[in-house]
Amino acid sequence: MPEQRIVLRNCGVIDPKDISTYLSQGGFKALEKALGELAPEQVIEEIKKSGLLGRGGAGFPTGLKWQFASEASGEEKYVICNADEGEVGTFKDRYILERDPFSLIEAMAIAGYAIGANKGYIYLRAEYHHLLGLLEGAIVQCEGKGFLAKQGNFKFDIEIREGAGAYVCGEETALMDSIEGKRGEARYKPPFPPSQGLWQKPTIINNVETLMNIPPIILKGSDWFNRIGTERSKGTKVFSVSGDVRAPGTYELVMGSSLKELVEDLALAEKVKMVQVGGASGRVIPYHLIDTPLAFEGVLGAGAIIVFNESRDVIDIVRRTMEFFAEESCGKCTPCREGTQVMLEILTRFCHGQGLKQDIENLESLANVMMLTSLCGLGQAAPNSVVDTLAHYRSAYESRVQG
Amino acid sequence: MLPLFGGDENLSVDMIPVTLNGTKVSAQPGMTILELARENGVDIPTLCYRPELTPIGACRICVVEVEGSRTLVASCHTPVAANMVIHTHSPKVLEARKVIVELLLASHPDVCLVCDKANTCELRKIAADLGVGLPRFRVKKRYHPLEDVSPYVVRDLDKCILCRRCLRACHEIKKADVFAIAYRGFDSKVVVDQDQPLNKSVCRDCDVCISLCPVGALTKREERFKEKKGPPLFIKA
Ligand SMILES: Cc1cc2nc3c(=O)[nH]c(=O)nc-3n(C[C@H](O)[C@H](O)[C@H](O)COP(=O)(O)O)c2cc1C
Ligand code: SF4
Ligand code: SF4
Ligand code: FES
Repeated sequence: MPEQRIVLRNCGVIDPKDISTYLSQGGFKALEKALGELAPEQVIEEIKKSGLLGRGGAGFPTGLKWQFASEASGEEKYVICNADEGEVGTFKDRYILERDPFSLIEAMAIAGYAIGANKGYIYLRAEYHHLLGLLEGAIVQCEGKGFLAKQGNFKFDIEIREGAGAYVCGEETALMDSIEGKRGEARYKPPFPPSQGLWQKPTIINNVETLMNIPPIILKGSDWFNRIGTERSKGTKVFSVSGDVRAPGTYELVMGSSLKELVEDLALAEKVKMVQVGGASGRVIPYHLIDTPLAFEGVLGAGAIIVFNESRDVIDIVRRTMEFFAEESCGKCTPCREGTQVMLEILTRFCHGQGLKQDIENLESLANVMMLTSLCGLGQAAPNSVVDTLAHYRSAYESRVQG
Repeated sequence: MLPLFGGDENLSVDMIPVTLNGTKVSAQPGMTILELARENGVDIPTLCYRPELTPIGACRICVVEVEGSRTLVASCHTPVAANMVIHTHSPKVLEARKVIVELLLASHPDVCLVCDKANTCELRKIAADLGVGLPRFRVKKRYHPLEDVSPYVVRDLDKCILCRRCLRACHEIKKADVFAIAYRGFDSKVVVDQDQPLNKSVCRDCDVCISLCPVGALTKREERFKEKKGPPLFIKA
């Protein structure tokens, strides 16, 4: 299936420092249409009908999330754009922020109108500090043109909050704690953010890429969007491809394209051994499954594609992945805090050819319990690479058991 | 909530029907699964939960199975919902609880025989109830120097299981905020100031943290080395 630019429509086309170039591409026409022709409920209905699912990893229906927040009682509500982009191997949100900050601002304003919020936050990952000036400049220009100023009941104000370098702060509730000035740690759910989020107020939180789809859906209609992609996965997906490839970078493909097409035809990988789809918390796809579709029905995650060729050692990759989780675990709940450390030590033993006979069984039972009992998605997804490689590369483990 | 007037219909409208371990029971709105279980005489182990403190869902020992849920759910903070089908002691639940206890024990110092908490230790009690002997996992131990400078509290954080009861008690009951969490992951630690030993100038001897610590990490200075009364512990398995 072809590359198609919906999310990246303006990237490389407009000047991200100059709003007039955005306006000449039809910028703020979607917000104008929403404010002028659609009631807030109609905006939500359009997004629901479009079938748009969240691009931050979990794939929750965006329209439904907005509906919950719009129906929640409360004067104050918030829109948060999750620009923490912490997943290993993802850089597509950065690509978007660098090239088209205006679309994001327009989308957040539409979201604010839809749910009845007049305040939005962009939570920017600490490592993207160099983008702060560009984003602030974009907000100031949008305000200068009056797009966020009072129009009827609508008014919108956007503030940028910078993270402090914790992966877990990409998790929605940890992110909200972080904005509130607390230590970033996951909260238990329910209550879910659309009913009690930031400062306990109804809040929607969406990934950068999710929001980028909003203006075109409003302008072209849900039917148009609904026709692109597969049964359950509508639209396109932006991928960050890295690792053993000759053409790493950002690619936007129609949902349902095959992993093979992306990795071999576009990113020019050769002698592929396996691909981690969705980064550290994603799934490991061995070469014989390379035709798996990139969609919610197949594999997707947040779109990080890390390619490993035949020269790579499976267990070394898994150990490094676990080192990441042990480092990034917030430490609040037992299974993740203790389990990632136990797994790291087991995997280190395997790397040195000193695995114990019971280690494989222990990895399996521990992985199962971490997935079932961890408080947040970090601990629940931390064992994914262990589980997948035990399924596909078991002999790599078995050959390193001592004695 | 009892209706002010009106009949039984009103009462039943407010009650939520739930299936608990195969029995149909009714719950009040807003109640957690743990509260419902306890009201019905079902014992679910807890470590970080205390009725007088806000739940945090940290230890995960209280997990139960709710049909239709992808994961197990922690009963201490999950509210009951209409028609939930709950299993508090299914094989899946018991295995998860065992693994969690084994994880806590794996990094725990092997000093139970001489620990001041003796038979009043909640971790040992839960381990015994679940039939956990030696943990199947191996992991490094934590090393924190014994904090022996406060005239009131002796802190031995090697034994700390990070349930945060002390921290919440100090914050919620005493409104003192002596403690905070620092570092992350396995290195997380309940600290005072910038990770200074607990001393006289910050802590005002109220005992609230000591009385709530489930393990031997916090001890009242005068009570060290004194006999502790607790029921004998038998490992069931
Ligand atoms: C450990 C962890 C890290 C996450 N990091 C991010 C992130 O960096 N960016 C993001 O958009 N979502 C991240 N998420 C997902 C968010 O919790 C949330 O689902 C998402 O922002 C919702 O937006 P969406 O519905 O538009 O996808 C993370 C989740 C977990 C569990
Ligand atoms: S799963 Fe890990 S990151 Fe999430 S709350 Fe538990 S310890 Fe923290
Ligand atoms: S010192 Fe005791 S009460 Fe405080 S967190 Fe550790 S185990 Fe819990
Ligand atoms: S008692 Fe419920 S999570 Fe600790």
